[in-house]
Amino acid sequence: MEEEEAAEEQQRFSYRQRLKAAVHYTVGCLCEEVASDKEMQFSKQTIAAISEVTFRQCENFAKDLEMFARHAKRSTINTEDVKLLARRSNSLLKYITEKSEEIAQVNLERKAKKKKKSENENKDSLEPAEAGVVESEN
Amino acid sequence: MEGTCAGFRKELVSKLLYLHFKDDKTKVSGDALQLMAELLKIFVVEAAIRSIWQAQAEDLALVDLDQLEKVLPQLLLDF
Repeated sequence: MEEEEAAEEQQRFSYRQRLKAAVHYTVGCLCEEVASDKEMQFSKQTIAAISEVTFRQCENFAKDLEMFARHAKRSTINTEDVKLLARRSNSLLKYITEKSEEIAQVNLERKAKKKKKSENENKDSLEPAEAGVVESEN
Repeated sequence: MEGTCAGFRKELVSKLLYLHFKDDKTKVSGDALQLMAELLKIFVVEAAIRSIWQAQAEDLALVDLDQLEKVLPQLLLDF
């Protein structure tokens, strides 16, 4: 039994490590962009530290989001919960609210496109039949 | 400035969040995931930019841990 637990523990640990590595990669990428734009350089330790802080901040975010949704008697976290997360800074809240509207808009347009496409396909198959009905009534 | 780095992938953000949920029933909507990806991106960019400003104020060309440490408290308070 103990061996199984130890193996599970090991698996969880390496999963965590893989996630941390993925975060580190993205953080490095973003910092590199900012650095080259400002013509400055980050030490490797600084990038690693930002990556570590980001990973830990995710834990706080996740727990808060879960609490917010639960407080609203939901089990699915939605964009309102995320906006609540961004409440501490006015400019952050404004930015996130704008992004949220952008995302909603893009998804709305995507749905409208899909619906229009399937409507057009249905229309093409219906038209001849409808024309037939009208003529016979006359 | 053209963004060559798209930021955090939805899949990564999802895994990061699910890692810390207490309840098995908790889920995240697609839109919320996209928004969280933006939030995390802003978090990282703010950390980077504020550290750079600190380094520039100290007349340094390299941004090191000392500069990050000075901006970290306010960063965490803002989030």
